[in-house]
Amino acid sequence: MVDILPLSSYPSYIDLLPAIQTCNITNLPENYFLKYYLYHALTWPQLSFVAVVRPRNGYKAGNTVAGEYPKVVGYVLAKMEEEPTDGVQHGHITSLSVMRTHRRLGIAERLMRMSQRAMAECHRAQFVSLHVRVSNVAALHLYRDTLGFQVDSVESSYYADGEDAYAMRMDLSNMWLDWAEIERKDRERQASDEKDADEGDEVGEVGKKEENEKEKEKMVRVKVGRSLGVGDLVERNEAQASS
Amino acid sequence: MPQQLSSKDASLFRQVVRYYENKQYKKGIKTAEQILRKTPNHGDTLAMKALIMSNQGQQEEAFALAKEALKNDMKSHICWHVYGLLYRAEKNYEEAIKAYRFALRIEPESQPIQRDLALLQMQMRDYQGYIQSRTTMLQARPAFRQNWTALAIAHHLSGDLEEAEKVLTTYEETLKTPPPLSDMEHSEATLYKNMVIAESGNLEKALEHLDSVGYRISDVLAVMEMKADYLLRLGRKEEAAAAYTALLERNSENSLYYDGLIKAKDLSSDDHKALKEVYDSWAEKYPRGDSPRRIPLDFLEGDDFKQAADAYLQRMLKKGVPSLFANIKLLYTNINKRDTVQELVEGYVSTPQSNGSADGSAAKDNNDFLSSAYYFLAQHYNYHLSRDLSKAMQNVEKAIELSPKAVEYQMTKARIWKHYGNLEKAAEEMEKARKIDEKDRHINSKAAKYQLRNNENDKALDNMSKFTRNETVGGALGDLHEMQCVWYLTEDGESYLRQRKLGLALKRFHAVFNIFDVWQEDQFDFHSFSLRKGMIRAYVDMVRWEDRLREHPFYARIALSAIKAYLLLHDQPDLAYGPLPVNGGDEADEAERKKALKKAKKEQQRLEKAEAEKREAIRKAAANPKSTEGEVKKEDPDPLGNKLVQTQEPLKDALKFLTPLLEYCPQDIEAQCLGFEVHLRRGKYALALKCLSAAHSIDASNPTLHVQLLRFRQALNKLSEPLAPQVAEVVDSEFEALLPKSQKLDEWNASFLSENKDSVPHKHAYLTCQQLLTPESKPETEKELASTLDASIVSLETALAGLDLLGEWGSNQAAKTAYAEKASSKWPESTLFRIA
Repeated sequence: MVDILPLSSYPSYIDLLPAIQTCNITNLPENYFLKYYLYHALTWPQLSFVAVVRPRNGYKAGNTVAGEYPKVVGYVLAKMEEEPTDGVQHGHITSLSVMRTHRRLGIAERLMRMSQRAMAECHRAQFVSLHVRVSNVAALHLYRDTLGFQVDSVESSYYADGEDAYAMRMDLSNMWLDWAEIERKDRERQASDEKDADEGDEVGEVGKKEENEKEKEKMVRVKVGRSLGVGDLVERNEAQASS
Repeated sequence: MPQQLSSKDASLFRQVVRYYENKQYKKGIKTAEQILRKTPNHGDTLAMKALIMSNQGQQEEAFALAKEALKNDMKSHICWHVYGLLYRAEKNYEEAIKAYRFALRIEPESQPIQRDLALLQMQMRDYQGYIQSRTTMLQARPAFRQNWTALAIAHHLSGDLEEAEKVLTTYEETLKTPPPLSDMEHSEATLYKNMVIAESGNLEKALEHLDSVGYRISDVLAVMEMKADYLLRLGRKEEAAAAYTALLERNSENSLYYDGLIKAKDLSSDDHKALKEVYDSWAEKYPRGDSPRRIPLDFLEGDDFKQAADAYLQRMLKKGVPSLFANIKLLYTNINKRDTVQELVEGYVSTPQSNGSADGSAAKDNNDFLSSAYYFLAQHYNYHLSRDLSKAMQNVEKAIELSPKAVEYQMTKARIWKHYGNLEKAAEEMEKARKIDEKDRHINSKAAKYQLRNNENDKALDNMSKFTRNETVGGALGDLHEMQCVWYLTEDGESYLRQRKLGLALKRFHAVFNIFDVWQEDQFDFHSFSLRKGMIRAYVDMVRWEDRLREHPFYARIALSAIKAYLLLHDQPDLAYGPLPVNGGDEADEAERKKALKKAKKEQQRLEKAEAEKREAIRKAAANPKSTEGEVKKEDPDPLGNKLVQTQEPLKDALKFLTPLLEYCPQDIEAQCLGFEVHLRRGKYALALKCLSAAHSIDASNPTLHVQLLRFRQALNKLSEPLAPQVAEVVDSEFEALLPKSQKLDEWNASFLSENKDSVPHKHAYLTCQQLLTPESKPETEKELASTLDASIVSLETALAGLDLLGEWGSNQAAKTAYAEKASSKWPESTLFRIA
């Protein structure tokens, strides 16, 4: 029986990453360093999910899978576009795979839906995008007919072997959290807090904010590819010798 | 006195720094040299030049230069900082930390140095040092939230949960109004605080906190999971049930949620009716789901089971779900269930489905159903708990006849051949499966794996190369290394180990070992990256995972194999020169041995030359041996592993694999047994005994352990010089508990046999001990070993292990041939007993 689990939010099953990497390189030609998986798991921990085979008699620890290393039969690795050219927040499916021995159980669909929902809730993604080989009929069927993606464009020679890709996307705004409602709750709580408020204590001396020191962290361009790890993501002045 | 720069050169120096930051290394070097022409002993410039050279991969020259820089300017924080950075690049973190500390003493206010120091302290898990660094950094810049969070992490990981929470709260209190909902960093820091509270054990408080902040946290699923978890652990069952219900509504395919729900509902595991009702309600709600239909098969019995299994099997067979058998086989430890399933599915194929219509689609559906059922039966009869290989073969042929294009069916046929013990045929059949769908990497990987099992390493690599980037340095194999393809490297190494090509075997195992090193190193950049991103919970989980990285089964597997290779190498040093024919008999002809060795050495040289020529050809073909990112990839100076295999100290090298294995996988009995083998050969009796004791507490009746106990006793009896008194005392007293001195060994061995009489591996262990106790009765022992083949329960693998035993005992060729012939007649399809 296959369980669909979150990868690195709560609970964290980050110890499944090596098995996810193996699942990927067994099934697909597009492969990545473990660090690239780490980069996804640690930057957008809510967006990736993994499908594992439940062991005989369930999990030893009872309420967690950590430390058990069950067989991984599928995963979705997802991210948010870091610097969308049009400024529209959107998610992207980096990689999705299900072992061919575990097809027709709806695993890929469920992985996708979990990820899409998390993109909308956690990051208010306007839409989710992905690429799919034009020859991959089964995947196209899943994305277009089952999930409701639309073909955005064809990217010629997108894949290393020269095959074209459909660039597809799907709107997610219908799953956004209702911020107005949350803000209403905020106001409600504040009002009730003020009613029975004490004088607030001064916070510890290190806690004093220096008003003008609101330095903004330098925006860092992040470039990631097959052979780039987070080593290349680290901001440039990381190892600066003098300044 | 350090040299000073003119104002013009000082600005040039700033340029060098900029070039370095922008990775314009050539320009940086040029500019540095320009300064050095006028001021040749300028420490800071020398240091910067060294730093740039180090980034260009000229580690040694860089170090020499950095030392010169320091000699010229001991008081420069830049020189010390660079010195530290060079050590860091070499992964000598302790020295790096020292250098940073010097730099910091000279320039206490320097943020970059402080930061580099902190990162290393984290990497080294020097939590006290990290707390100190982080406190300093917070005091320097309290306006940054990440400085607060970092200090909290430092306290948290050091085990001071209270202080961690206090730091987080102190920052929160500076916030006058709640940050905007889009502020992920805040949302995460809030959940992080909740995690800290929960870990402190105060679940009440954690739950209360979660209730007060949860509504504005965007990681909705995490909040729901945490809440359900806390409620259940607090015994607030009604609310817990509601929380797990909500989780199931989000994702009904997570059995942990059902487990939680059942616990919350306080349903007894015996109350099958009530349990079934719960699952049925979810199956009804989400008709496409699998879990609520499948889980009840675990607990239902008798007719209830039969009914539910019937419905489940028919439904899945109609859908043609290929994983159906994998999902069902877990039930087979219960013999009744196994037989019921067999009966049901045999029934489906023997009575034609009556669907009352003769139109084409119904016929096709029926055809699909039948082929799925045959496929199921093929796997069923191929499975070790229900094995009947000829039936498996018949069924798979029927399935293939109905659906000749089904890759899975053909894969199963290959698997059946594997279980027949015919690896050649298995590889061939898997190759046929690959050809059905050449664009699919999964079946390609399987075909390669089966070729490796059949020791066809070149063919396997050729198959793999259809999906690798072959332009990288080292071709397909280079790409598999670069992409950290652990499964392939492991299988390839194990294949070489079987072939006694220990150099290549060790090469692969070291490659995987190095991949684990890389994975450990990978965390480094996240110590700063994650703070900027604010995803703290995931970061902390990562740090904890890295601390137990090598408990991963991938590590254990290569470590065990590598240790086996080193033990072989120690026992048969000639293997360093390549695979040699196994010593023929008790009186191995020395001249014969020397001849074989000479031949092997020649072959090794030939291979080395061929490899060098191949590389030269590739180098010439690719005029520009650069990988895509422009770094020059270093060529491996020892591609065949000859340097590894020609080690003078195989046992010492084995420790590299063994030490982490015993530390992280102490519950692995095979690890303990191999640990014994290594330590015994090293003459480390206390350590060897430690492994025996550990193995004993894992499984006292383990057959390997049984033999090792006797060998240890005999080794102690035969010591050439007595153990040091303290060691002797410990060893004697501890070993007494495992195998008392007064124990009559033949009785001890006999009682082991009678306690485990239905197991052939135990019989093997018994016979090995016989052989050790009474070497003179070897022919009888050998005969008794051959008679184990008569047992109906003996498996092919065990029979093969029996053949290996004869090798261990130093039996002569005749005994081996007799055994192998007998085994061959029992498993006529197998090729495993062919005597080379």
